[in-house]
Amino acid sequence: MINRKLAKILANRYVILASLLFIAALGLLVLPGYKKNERVTAEDLLAQVVNPERYMTSDELAEKIIAKDPSILLIDLRSENEYNEYTMPGAFNIPLDQILDPESEGYLNQDQYDIVLFSNQNLTADQAWILLTRKGYKNLHVLDGGINGWYNTILNPLKPTENMPKEAFDRYDFRLAAAMYFGVGGETLQDKDAEEEGSRKLVVPVMKKKKRKPEGGC
Amino acid sequence: MGPLIPNGILTDEWNIIIAVLIGLAFGFILEASGFSSSRKLAGVFYGYDFAVLKVFFTAAVVSVIGLYYMDYLGWIEMGMLYVHPTYVWAAIIGGAIMGVGFVAGGFCPGTSLCAVAIGKLDAWIYVFGIMIGVFVFSEAYNVFEGLYNGSFLGNITLVDSFDIPASWIIFGVTVIALAAFFVSDIVRKRIKKVFY
Repeated sequence: MINRKLAKILANRYVILASLLFIAALGLLVLPGYKKNERVTAEDLLAQVVNPERYMTSDELAEKIIAKDPSILLIDLRSENEYNEYTMPGAFNIPLDQILDPESEGYLNQDQYDIVLFSNQNLTADQAWILLTRKGYKNLHVLDGGINGWYNTILNPLKPTENMPKEAFDRYDFRLAAAMYFGVGGETLQDKDAEEEGSRKLVVPVMKKKKRKPEGGC
Repeated sequence: MGPLIPNGILTDEWNIIIAVLIGLAFGFILEASGFSSSRKLAGVFYGYDFAVLKVFFTAAVVSVIGLYYMDYLGWIEMGMLYVHPTYVWAAIIGGAIMGVGFVAGGFCPGTSLCAVAIGKLDAWIYVFGIMIGVFVFSEAYNVFEGLYNGSFLGNITLVDSFDIPASWIIFGVTVIALAAFFVSDIVRKRIKKVFY
C-alpha cells in the first residue's frame, strides 16, 4: 500500500519540484521590501566610529597647514555668514544642510585628499562625518574641538604651569609660534621687540670740546 | 554575515581549500550523472536528451533564488558578490565558437576534463584542441585585443541593464526555465530514441 502511494507521488516528482521552484520564485516577489544599509555595514561603521584616527587635533592640523601640506582639504560646515566672518586658512564652505547635495560630492567623494571637517564644535562635524561615512566616502577626519578648540589651543594657548611636564612647554612654544604664523597672538613678542628697538636710543657720542685751561695771561 | 572570506569569517587561505572541495564534488557528480558522455551532452542539440539544459538551468535558478532569500535574511550581502564583467562582442563571438565546439566535439570544457579523468580518448583529443586554441589565441593576442577588451559594459547584471526589480527578473527567468523544461520534454518524446 505504502509503496504504491509513494510510487504515485514519485511519478509526479518533476511536477512537484517544478512547482516548488515556482513557489519559491513567487515568494521572492511577495516578500515585503526593506531598506538595506548599502555600502557600509553596521560593524564597519562602529569600527570607524571608535577609531581615534577620525579625529585630527588642532596641533596636527596647525603643523600640516604650516608645512603647507597639499593633501589636506578643510571643509567649513558652518553657515555662510559665519564662514565669511572667520574661517581657517584655505577652507571651503559647505554648510551641513548642503553636504549631501550633488555639487558637494566632487569635493567630498575622492581619494586624493585628507578631508578635515570642522564647525564651531565637534557636534556638527561629527554629524557630517557619520553621513559621509555612511555614503562610503574615504579619508574623512573631524577637527577635534572645532573652531573653538582651534582658538583655545592654537590662537590663544593656555600657559602651562610650573608643575607641568616639558612636553607641555614644548607644545606651548609650538602653539605660540603657530599663532604667530597665523597672524595672531604674537603681538606681545613683536611689541616687546619694537619697544626695545624704540627704547634703545641712538647715543651719539658728542665730543665736548675740552675747556682750554687759561693759558698764561697778558 | 556572508560572503565568508571577504568578511573575514574565514581567512584567505580557505579560498583554495573550498575551491578544491567544490571542484571534487562537482567533478564527481558530473561524472556520476553521465555528463562525461559526449552523446548525452550532444543530445541537447539533436533533441533526444535535454539533461544538460535542465541541469544547468536548474542550477542557475536554484542558486539565484537561494541567494536572494539568504540576502533577505541577512546571511549574505549580494553587493559584495563577484559579478563577472561583460564584454558584449567578445561574449557573443566566444559563445558562438564554444557552441560550435560543443556540438562538434560533444563536450564543454568542464565535462571534457571530466571525461579525460575516466580515460576517454575523444576527450583527450578535445582537450588537446583546447590547448591549441589557447596557444593560437595567446600568440595572436594583438589581433584579438580589440575584441577581447572592447565593448566593455562593466560588472553589470540584468537588474542593472533592464532597471527592473531583481525579484521580477528572477520570477521571469524561473518561468522561462520551467517553460523550457516543459517544451524540451515534449520535444524529447517526439524524437526517435537514441540508445547510448
